[in-house]
Amino acid sequence: MYNLASIPPRCLAVETVACPGCDLLQRIPPLPSGGKARCPRCGHLLATQPSDPLDRSLALTIAALIVFVIANTTPMMGLSAVGREANTTLLGGAYQMWLQGREITAAVVGFCTVIAPAGYLACMLVVLLAVRRPPAPQWIGELLRWANFMRPWSMNEVLMLGILVALVKIAQLATVIAGIGMYAVFVLIVLLAGIMVSFDPREVWRRVEWAAGEQRIPVADATSGPGRAA
Amino acid sequence: MAEDSDLAKLPQATVVPGKRFRVSIVWAIPILAAVVAIGIAVQRILSEGPTVTVVFRSAEGVEAGKTFVKYKDVNIGQVTAVQLSEDYSQVEVKAKIAKHAAGLMVEDARFWVVKPRIALTGISGLGTLLSGNYIGFAAGKSDHPRRSFTGLEVPPIVTGGVPGRQFLLHADTLGSVGIGSPIYYRRLPVGEVVAYDLAADGKTVDIKIFVHSPYDKHVNPGTRFWNASGIDVSLNANGFDVRTESLAALVAGGLAFDTPVFAPTAGPAAADTAFTLYGTRAVAMKQPETVARHYALFFKETVRGLSIGAPVTLFGMPVGEVTDVGLTFDPATLDIHPRVEFTFYPERMVMRLSGKQEVAAQALAAGSEQKRYVVLRRLVEERGLRAQLKTGSLITGQLYVAFDFYPSAPRAKIDWSQDTPVLPSVESLVPDLEAKLPEIVDKINKLPLQAIAEDLKKNLETLDQTLKSANKLVSHVDTDVVPELKGTLEEARRAMAAAERVMKGAESTLVGPNAPTQQELRDTLQEVSRTARSLRVLTDYLERHPDSLIRGKPEQKFGRQ
Amino acid sequence: MSGNELTAVQAGLVSCDTCDLLSRPAATVQPGHCPRCGAPLEWRRHQSIQHTWALLIAAAISYVPANVLPVLTTNTLGSSESDTIMGGVIYLYTSGSWPLALIVLIASVMIPMGKIIALAYLLITVQRGSIKNNRDRSRLYRVVELIGRWSMLDVFVDTFVVALVQLQPLMSVEPGLGVLFFMSVVVLTMLAAQSFDPRLIWDAGRRRQVAHG
Repeated sequence: MYNLASIPPRCLAVETVACPGCDLLQRIPPLPSGGKARCPRCGHLLATQPSDPLDRSLALTIAALIVFVIANTTPMMGLSAVGREANTTLLGGAYQMWLQGREITAAVVGFCTVIAPAGYLACMLVVLLAVRRPPAPQWIGELLRWANFMRPWSMNEVLMLGILVALVKIAQLATVIAGIGMYAVFVLIVLLAGIMVSFDPREVWRRVEWAAGEQRIPVADATSGPGRAA
Repeated sequence: MAEDSDLAKLPQATVVPGKRFRVSIVWAIPILAAVVAIGIAVQRILSEGPTVTVVFRSAEGVEAGKTFVKYKDVNIGQVTAVQLSEDYSQVEVKAKIAKHAAGLMVEDARFWVVKPRIALTGISGLGTLLSGNYIGFAAGKSDHPRRSFTGLEVPPIVTGGVPGRQFLLHADTLGSVGIGSPIYYRRLPVGEVVAYDLAADGKTVDIKIFVHSPYDKHVNPGTRFWNASGIDVSLNANGFDVRTESLAALVAGGLAFDTPVFAPTAGPAAADTAFTLYGTRAVAMKQPETVARHYALFFKETVRGLSIGAPVTLFGMPVGEVTDVGLTFDPATLDIHPRVEFTFYPERMVMRLSGKQEVAAQALAAGSEQKRYVVLRRLVEERGLRAQLKTGSLITGQLYVAFDFYPSAPRAKIDWSQDTPVLPSVESLVPDLEAKLPEIVDKINKLPLQAIAEDLKKNLETLDQTLKSANKLVSHVDTDVVPELKGTLEEARRAMAAAERVMKGAESTLVGPNAPTQQELRDTLQEVSRTARSLRVLTDYLERHPDSLIRGKPEQKFGRQ
Repeated sequence: MSGNELTAVQAGLVSCDTCDLLSRPAATVQPGHCPRCGAPLEWRRHQSIQHTWALLIAAAISYVPANVLPVLTTNTLGSSESDTIMGGVIYLYTSGSWPLALIVLIASVMIPMGKIIALAYLLITVQRGSIKNNRDRSRLYRVVELIGRWSMLDVFVDTFVVALVQLQPLMSVEPGLGVLFFMSVVVLTMLAAQSFDPRLIWDAGRRRQVAHG
């Protein structure tokens, strides 16, 4: 049995965690820049140490937000056949689905392509701005949780491939013109990937005000309810 | 060493920690993104064209975000909104016009909805069945920009930019002419009717026409226009006349024009010159007589069959027209008899003279009244110039007035005391059977029928003997005369056959199975049925291969058809 | 390896889902809230096996109409043609773009099927208390979680084809009911993967070990 008391307190350089994949208790040593930590038992990725985690992530998040606005306001692609033309934006595609009677599908498509990425980017922006001057307010943690929730649901790269397949399907019938929106989505995908790679949540957690007050020991005491402890 | 201690005593330089360059290169990415976004937004704003509002009574097939505005087949804008007007009676269509076409939005620009239409002039807009309706546009010439328009319900007949000229015609009635009715010059269609409207005073109809170039240069100030619709059939003292311009004119109504020979030569008429529209070609091309003299005639017989416009002839040649057929009543003597007024055109008579005589006669006709009176009086009193009613056509009973010399007629004078000088007339030869019948019956009664019968018997006996000798003669005739007769008969038969052929020929041009009109009709019908057949084949194919409409017929791939 | 292994549960500590902080629970049944980020703590994902089974079965049921009902109906000049997902794959193949046909086949047919089978396998092995191939099963779970979203491909393809090809009366495309069911398959399998707790794989092994002494 481990003696818990033997774990030195206030040791910020070495963290003790339980692997989210197999629940194994282990210590994460300080990582070199660009290094990763994996669980020895199940291989789950525990932590990364990206260089310049907060600044770089912030820059990429701002860029991604701008590109997101472009991607949603400019037409994605246009179609020209027999003298008739049509074009659509991202939301326009979901809207057409709604008009055609598939409301649920339209809502889910809209969520996965627009709302989830928007939510993720907005939360990240606020979090990254707030932690520049620690200690960040406690609700930042809540925002980060929301961002984590929305991350798997923002499926822009699947969207990109889907558009390409749709393009090929339609290009046989009519002339298709790729719009600015399409390139913007492509850039957005790259930027989103960049954000996920360059962001280190551990940095944020180190700077966030504790819900239960100023405690900085590796093994804390859980509180019985939300709100500040004395 | 002294140097060492010197070295050690040297003051320590202050250490200034290097300022870490806080801003890393990664910030270039959001800056770049911001620049691109601003660039796109600016470009969008700069390339925004104006928004125009067009009001239609109904906007079929016009959809926001889908329908385009096209000019010369180029998209110059797109409809952004379609909504009812405030009083719910019209449809307001808002369209965003591309920047490069913004200069076209001027006061007299016109908008209309292009959709399949069937009109007198033909079928138009069928292409929109495939491509969807669009809003057509015709440029105007004004300089004043304008952003709100009233849309036309019907596409304009002539869109701006078509070379040609517009003219105005005044007509008594519209007749069978409509918008789009063709205009012919020497049977060629050279223009169409663009619009018509009642004149301000309500007494005439103003018809606007458009003649395409290069034919518009044949319209000069002396040109005459007439209504060439339908078939012109006239049956009058001159005979039976049938005229038609073309099948299209028959159906759609049409106008024609030509320049009469007597019109002064002049350059082409300016645009919007006004002309009068005449009813028929004859009326249109009639040379206006500059000199017209009015005279009257009294007749003591029935003038039934004499209509206004009936010709007045001199020795059979037309020199005037009847202008009025009425009665004159003398209250003192209770005398009522017909009074005919007519117009005499001396020019028509003068035209028939030759050379020097024409010149002299013209001088006389245009000369002083006194001299003319003298000539007329001498003709009437010395030569016996009288008017007589004659039958123009036994079928219709139309009469006309004929002047001739009757030396044996009782002496008469021109009555100059009336407003219109009255010339003398003689009785006509129109047989009045009713009056003559009792006379005839009387005469027959007076005939010595008995004596005639006895004479007849005696004569018959002599005749018998004559006949017997004649028989002998006939046998001689057989050998000599009959062959000649036969030959004559042959000729006569041949002549009749020829006449038959001529009649048949006449038939065939009009009515027969090979008549050209019928031939045309049949050809057209054949074309139509051929077209219908090929159309059916096409729709069959399309039903089986719908995407071939866009892709074209696919190449053979993977053995799949 | 088993000598030094200690799971948080065994040590009586609970790990926060959000911020990975180890903390001593406030109570055994209800661990309380994380002192750092305030998120509610739980030993394992709530009712993991039950929820995952429910979502998985729903997904499997939706899988049948997703493939049987048409996803796209093309109307050309009045005549209409309906296509299922397989029909779309065949169309792509016969019209020459076989790489895309392959992509759509994998993404729309194989991945959802694979996900359902994989999750079912994971659930069954966990419930049977199997201790073999723990590491592989963990890896399988991670793969399932990663590639799940790619099944949405066909839904996006349909959305954009419908959005663009609206050229009445010449040609127009309508989405069919199959799209709805297909999308629900993807969403349900994603939710099922999220509700499955991979730590259960290792718990069974530990329990066995304890039982055997």
